[in-house]
Amino acid sequence: MVGAPLLTLAGIEKTWPNGTVALRGVDLTVRPGRVHGLLGANGAGKSTLIKILAGAVPASGGSVTWHDRAVRWSTPRAARAAGVATLYQHIPLVPTLSAADNILLEQRGGLRRDARARQRAAEVVAMLGDPFGLDEIVGDLPIGTRQMVAIAQALGGEPELVIMDEPTAALAGHERETVYRTIRQLADAGRAVLFVSHFLDEIIALTDEVTVLRDGRAVLHAETATLDEATIAAAIAGRSVTALTRPDTVRKPGAALLEVRDLRSPGRLTATTLNVCAGEIVGVAGMLGSGRSELLHAIFGADPAARGDVMLAGRRIGLFTDEAVAAGIALVPEDRARQGFVPTMTIAENIALPQRRHLLDHAAEAKAASAAIERLAIKADGPDALVSELSGGNAQKVVLAKWLTPETRVLLLDEPTAGIDIGARIDILRAVRGLADEGLAVLLVSSEFEELLAIADRILVLRDGAVIAEIADPAGLDEAALIQLASGTRTETGIAA
Amino acid sequence: MSPKIDWKRHFGLREAGVYYALLILLGILAAIAHARGLPNYLTPQNLGNIAYQASLVGIMGVAMTVMLITGAFDLSVASVAALAAAVLVGLAPQVGFPLAAVAALTTAAAIGLLNGAIVQFVGINAFIVTLGTLTAVRGLVLVLTDGRSLMVERADTLAQMLAFESMRVPLFWPVLAIAVGLFVLGAVRRSALQLASAVILVALALLAGRDVAVAAPVVYLAVFTAIVWAVLRFTVIGRRIYAVGGNAEAARLSGINVHAYKLGAFILSSVAAGFAGILFGCRLGAINPTALQGSELTVIAAAILGGTSLFGGAGSVVKTVVGALLLFTLTNGFNILNLGASYQGLIEGVVVIASAAIYTVGGERRRARRPIVDTAPDAPPITEAGAS
Repeated sequence: MVGAPLLTLAGIEKTWPNGTVALRGVDLTVRPGRVHGLLGANGAGKSTLIKILAGAVPASGGSVTWHDRAVRWSTPRAARAAGVATLYQHIPLVPTLSAADNILLEQRGGLRRDARARQRAAEVVAMLGDPFGLDEIVGDLPIGTRQMVAIAQALGGEPELVIMDEPTAALAGHERETVYRTIRQLADAGRAVLFVSHFLDEIIALTDEVTVLRDGRAVLHAETATLDEATIAAAIAGRSVTALTRPDTVRKPGAALLEVRDLRSPGRLTATTLNVCAGEIVGVAGMLGSGRSELLHAIFGADPAARGDVMLAGRRIGLFTDEAVAAGIALVPEDRARQGFVPTMTIAENIALPQRRHLLDHAAEAKAASAAIERLAIKADGPDALVSELSGGNAQKVVLAKWLTPETRVLLLDEPTAGIDIGARIDILRAVRGLADEGLAVLLVSSEFEELLAIADRILVLRDGAVIAEIADPAGLDEAALIQLASGTRTETGIAA
Repeated sequence: MSPKIDWKRHFGLREAGVYYALLILLGILAAIAHARGLPNYLTPQNLGNIAYQASLVGIMGVAMTVMLITGAFDLSVASVAALAAAVLVGLAPQVGFPLAAVAALTTAAAIGLLNGAIVQFVGINAFIVTLGTLTAVRGLVLVLTDGRSLMVERADTLAQMLAFESMRVPLFWPVLAIAVGLFVLGAVRRSALQLASAVILVALALLAGRDVAVAAPVVYLAVFTAIVWAVLRFTVIGRRIYAVGGNAEAARLSGINVHAYKLGAFILSSVAAGFAGILFGCRLGAINPTALQGSELTVIAAAILGGTSLFGGAGSVVKTVVGALLLFTLTNGFNILNLGASYQGLIEGVVVIASAAIYTVGGERRRARRPIVDTAPDAPPITEAGAS
């Protein structure tokens, strides 16, 4: 094969202090001049592995070899000094500083205005195709451009290995193109790239070799040229594929329960009309920025700028969250930590948040919480455990449990399975299917299109704040076709599968 | 089935530290008094005195605690109290005490509404807004009083006001009644804690004797604290107040009218300050324009001593009152025992910081138990620009 290894991981293990095992012995070799794709489901251990490489957390076992020398980076600074630049999924930039200041955040020396450093930054930015001006304030830039600033920041230190954790997740088509081109340029210049992505087409088109993690182990390592999407998908999913198949029986939804007419919000959502029947699961497919969350928030009355009609069983609901809840509409928001639960409260208290009584009834709350813990298989010490002490998947179950009351008639789910492990994901999807069988109307937003295809009775495709297609029979569709529908840009850029 | 009590947590430094601090301080002061051959420090009269001195700050502190729980902040309470006192003293001779008191409370409520509306609907940070009203309302007091002390000169109105503030309320029978109530409740609910506190109350009442009485503001403070405590503890409104401060967005998306709760907290805070101002005005039937200046900081210090989080979502009004008692015990002790008033400020400041340190370190230890995650770390997902 090509070149001596730049970085070799052997038997890397990681056990978190609470006993959770994230990595169970991962081997990985990164060579200069090659793009190495790293894949895995949520919870497979990708992020942990990246953090170990970046020096953010120590490994519990195994060895890291860098340039034929065993190393043990204890701080991110040490890793960067050695030549490893890491681009995290969320962008750690200072929004109040200019792009140049952010790119040069790491520089040492006394003066803030250093002409040579600025020149270097300008060169990096030029290589990226000048997507932003050096003096623009980062907080004013759109999210995609911010990602480019982060990339420029990573490249500013002349790294030998660039680790990218889903760098394209937030980007529009042409911005993705720039990232792809940059990755190629880096590889051609002899640098190594470790590229983490959920998008199989990206992986196939971009990488030279691929490693797939599952449950903390590397289950597949091969040259990309020898693989196809189906093989990779099977390796990622393992047994999980079977757990998400559509039921054979065709579900029969009842009468229209939720009707939305001309619901719009300036800049977020163009006039949207849709309805969801009792017992029906309507999937909403759309890329980030397509207006999926905005649609759900508008229906729920959480968007003060929204106008239009939301009707529940023929009765008009005011566009305020308290009216929506009183009418029986429930929202499970996308960002559970920021929007879903109150971290200082226990499971029982969080579940009881939407209640509409006046006096507290601790016994009833504890009972409801115990019932929810059992029904959704929440792993917790009991109803009195703090939600902030739970793992992501279990916290999400608590957010869902909040709405498991007889009053709830419409369930709006915004990425209910994002960032949670496969077991919890299937628990949640089963619960959702069960709720629909009980007669709830469900509107489900998900980036995991396979989920939508497996569970939804009907799929709406959203792009740029508007419904652009409706798929009445998801059974006849495959994931790639849905991705192409949801992101028109993708086919045009020529890397669609 | 009685709920399992986590003794270690309930009686740990973090949960009960402020009670220990008060008891220890009283013990130390009593010991010093004894050693110096001064009269007994722990007399019912002196303890009643401390409670009386702490009552205004306590009343404002209880409302401030609610405010802090919702995640906001009110620096303007002392100015509002002074304004309410000025309105009361200015109007009482013309319209009589009750009407003047209503006018004072209404004025205070209006300022609370103004504070809250600016914070909630314009979106300026509460610290800045109430720093502004702190100054502006004090200025308004100066304008209203023309920079001079006001006094109520009509004898009958003055008598009414003095009676409202300085009437003595006998404690023996009410305390016994409360103890019996607690005992019955404790017996029904099989709560050892309630039974124990009933016994302690009876013991205290017998120890203090039948003639013990406190000034009215202490009773007002006790009643106000009890009401707010009960609302926070037993009602859904209370739960929601905590939820609004713990995570406003989650509360909003659970169908809670966050605006109403936050506005309500501002109004409650100002009305409580207005009531404190009324008590202050009644104390002498007079008000000078610099009255109560700086006591907003004492109020906040009391809340912090009581373990209220400045980030919202946590706090206890009872502990705030104990915090206020602690601060005024320090003052009282320094005065009575003649310990040198110069050290007073230094020691008070150290006590506040030390208590905050205990709460923070205790809190971190509790958080350290948190299992990290079973999956990918919960990185905040990327949101669209301008969405947040």
